Amino acid sequence: MQAKENMMPPKTYDAIVIGAGHNGLAAAATLARKGHAVLVLEAQSSIGGMAKNVELMKGVFAPEIAHLLYNINPTVARELGLGTIFAPLDLISLATVSLSPSGDHVLIKDGTPQDMAGKSHPEAAKYTEIYQRLTKFAGLLGQMSTKTPPSLAGGIKDITDLAQAAGLTKIGLNLKLMGKKDMREFLRVLLSNIYDHLLDDLTDSPLSGALAADAVRGAYAGPRAPGTVFTLMYRLGNGAMVTLPKGGMGAVADAFGKAASNSGVTIRTDAKVAKVMVTDDRATGVQLGSGEVIMAKAVLSNLGPKSTMMLAGVEHYDVEATRRLRHHRAKGTTAKVNLVLSEVPEFTGLKGDLTHARLIIAPSATYVERAFNPVKYGELPQDPVIEAVIPTLSDASITTDGKHILSAILSFVPYNLKGGWSDAARQELREIAIKTLETYAPNIRALILEAQVLSPADIETLTGAPGGHWHHGEMGIDQVLTNRPANQLAHYHFGPAGYYLCGATAHPGGDVMGAAGRNAAMQVIKDGVLK
Amino acid sequence: MSKHVPIGLIETPFHPRLEPLSRAKKWMNWAGYISAGVMDTLEFEYFAIRNQTTLFDISPMHKYRIKGKDALLVVNRLVTRDIGKIRDGRVSYVLWCDEDGNLIDDGTLFRYSAQDFRLCCQESMLTWLIDTAWGFEVTIKDESHNVAALSLQGPTSYSLLSDAGISVGDMKPFDWCEVEPGLWISRTGFTGDLGYELWTSNDQALALWDRLWGAGHHWGLRAIGFEALNICRIEAGFMAAGFDFQPVHHAVRLGRGRSPIALGASKMIDFKKGHFNGRRALLTEAQTGPSHHLRKIDIGGFKPADGALIYYKKKHEVGHVTSGVWSPTTKRNIALAEFKAPYGDTIKNDLWAEIYINKEGQWDKRLVRVEIENKPFFQNARSRATPPKPF
Repeated sequence: MQAKENMMPPKTYDAIVIGAGHNGLAAAATLARKGHAVLVLEAQSSIGGMAKNVELMKGVFAPEIAHLLYNINPTVARELGLGTIFAPLDLISLATVSLSPSGDHVLIKDGTPQDMAGKSHPEAAKYTEIYQRLTKFAGLLGQMSTKTPPSLAGGIKDITDLAQAAGLTKIGLNLKLMGKKDMREFLRVLLSNIYDHLLDDLTDSPLSGALAADAVRGAYAGPRAPGTVFTLMYRLGNGAMVTLPKGGMGAVADAFGKAASNSGVTIRTDAKVAKVMVTDDRATGVQLGSGEVIMAKAVLSNLGPKSTMMLAGVEHYDVEATRRLRHHRAKGTTAKVNLVLSEVPEFTGLKGDLTHARLIIAPSATYVERAFNPVKYGELPQDPVIEAVIPTLSDASITTDGKHILSAILSFVPYNLKGGWSDAARQELREIAIKTLETYAPNIRALILEAQVLSPADIETLTGAPGGHWHHGEMGIDQVLTNRPANQLAHYHFGPAGYYLCGATAHPGGDVMGAAGRNAAMQVIKDGVLK
Repeated sequence: MSKHVPIGLIETPFHPRLEPLSRAKKWMNWAGYISAGVMDTLEFEYFAIRNQTTLFDISPMHKYRIKGKDALLVVNRLVTRDIGKIRDGRVSYVLWCDEDGNLIDDGTLFRYSAQDFRLCCQESMLTWLIDTAWGFEVTIKDESHNVAALSLQGPTSYSLLSDAGISVGDMKPFDWCEVEPGLWISRTGFTGDLGYELWTSNDQALALWDRLWGAGHHWGLRAIGFEALNICRIEAGFMAAGFDFQPVHHAVRLGRGRSPIALGASKMIDFKKGHFNGRRALLTEAQTGPSHHLRKIDIGGFKPADGALIYYKKKHEVGHVTSGVWSPTTKRNIALAEFKAPYGDTIKNDLWAEIYINKEGQWDKRLVRVEIENKPFFQNARSRATPPKPF
């Protein structure tokens, strides 16, 4: 199927998708594959949302926001043909190295930790036990991700939809099948904090630090916050493979984009939606900033829930819904620092090709907790948690002249910085990032040719993700499954008939998974609104 | 001097007049105010409502002012009726629901203009109104403690007002207007009879009371309490919050809320006016039918049946009486009762109320026949006559 370039575009579409992030594109492709005419409208001049490349110097491309792919959903990948000749996507699997200031780093490969000499880590057995247990528990949660979450609107007794009831029953059954010991353990740890959970068995070291950092990445929570075992399990449950897309994160956007346009989806960029039109409690189309009106039988929004509500108008929502959406927790805490380097920096004690790995700066779980503290007061962390990767080492196609990119995600950077986000504040953040990296790679400062700093506020501006939040909304236990994004709004339906939420703010949530978009499209089809 | 929050119940602006008049000293707590349950004798007070005229202090009622460019949009978002159809200077009986279509409260909405309304109700509603108004250009002001109000009810109420020099002859039911600077009158009430409600500022309250009291002797004016009024409202078939429905924000248990459809107020819902709170849930319920039906019933015998369980074929429990009294005017044993659907709706025969009677320490149980009533038990043309006559 080819994009119908020489045909007049239809004035009316079956469905309009607002936002060409990967979830929007997944939703569009899923609908188009079922034979529906779909239009995707993107406010920015290119598609991809958080999964994008940015050209920092001529011929040098950095992953602008997201830099690794952890959790692409296998169902989505299969259905959309991602990684096939039609929507090429090559993924390079990466190991993780948790850095230590002493040079005593830990390599975590295939779920097993080793020291730099290649010997088994002294805590390997305990680590593996924790990891396997959490992965097993996580499997229980993971099976929910391609399903509409169960509805509890009328209490347990009102679950009339057999499929939903079956889903819940299956979880309950699988919980039982784990055996009494595991089931008790699951229920015990589910709401507890990852800090205590890890340090029950491990020493406070780069090994526990890396897991603690993974548990809270993107969250407005330190590892001592309740519910952080759950967030780690949720991450593991949706697949914890760390992969680097060949061609950069832009390749992910392109793959989703190709899957969509191959299926006949029309994508328009620089098309900002000003308003979603509602007639007789039914979404009938959109009006662009330019005043242009496009009609459709269904409108899917990839934006945050509050923005999605405001596009249609608050008058179409019950007071309870507006209450919940106004208080939707979405305080972004991740900032991005991209550095162009003249050559590969030398990390003390890091040997061979391990510089290719995902590098974690979280030398202890306590370090992670301390790094979280300042964000509560709108301050910058002086010793931040960093997840860094040098993608140019694994993929030369995104650079030129031997230049390298170091892409760093800084955790616990406040969205509402005291005094606001100015150029001086970005400069300060850049300095903090470089200083922290210098502890591990002393020669890095001299290699910097160019730097890009994006605060959570900048990420919000670029992508529309509320609060610049990594997952478009906190993945706390109060905002997942039946409560994502909020109670009574968890089934992709969003107020007026034919209006849907299809982004990370809907179940199953954030990371570049594509499942939320795909599930939303399935719900649209199930509802029969396109007939 | 620092101001302190008063401890315990507080006095209404009319209390200095009520206190010396009260023989029964039967006070109640109404929204934190000292309010009369009975002033003298229940029977005297009841018959004064139906044959003379009565004053009841309704100052404890919650009163909210909704003002601003979007005020009409906000009240229409709040309530189930279309307030766009209500003219300025009119009052509307309104219901409002939560997202599940269950009743939060009912009350009266006074329209000054499309930009200015006052809502009067039983329940505290400030935070709900503020949240309803989020995203709209309006201000919500709690006037509960600033507006004094009296309910003047009974067949001679019009004549009394005339004698007090207040001209309301051309006011129709549910009209309201400023008859004198600072004195607003609405032709409204909770008795189903001829009557008015008078609204003024707290500092004018006692002067208003004295003016009415001074003109009242000839017309049999009595100060009354809630208990007499309660008989009249059941006779008129009006439901009351906390009795005939549980305001859903106060109901702790799941499933205790009731929709306007279940409460027999489907006519108060306008599905065509655009979205309002609970509309989607009510639309579904309008199709599937409510789980319960609140009905007016006539019960055999003369023993009031408040709280009585109701049985079908003397066997299956299908409902209960929510408000039951002996109606002295109609000489009937009447009540409002809630039935589990389809009882009270499609199944109306063979219904029995179980009444327990204490005969000087000996309990007797009776099953008494229940008949469904469609019309209010008490209806009188004088309540609607314009201009009213000196009955």
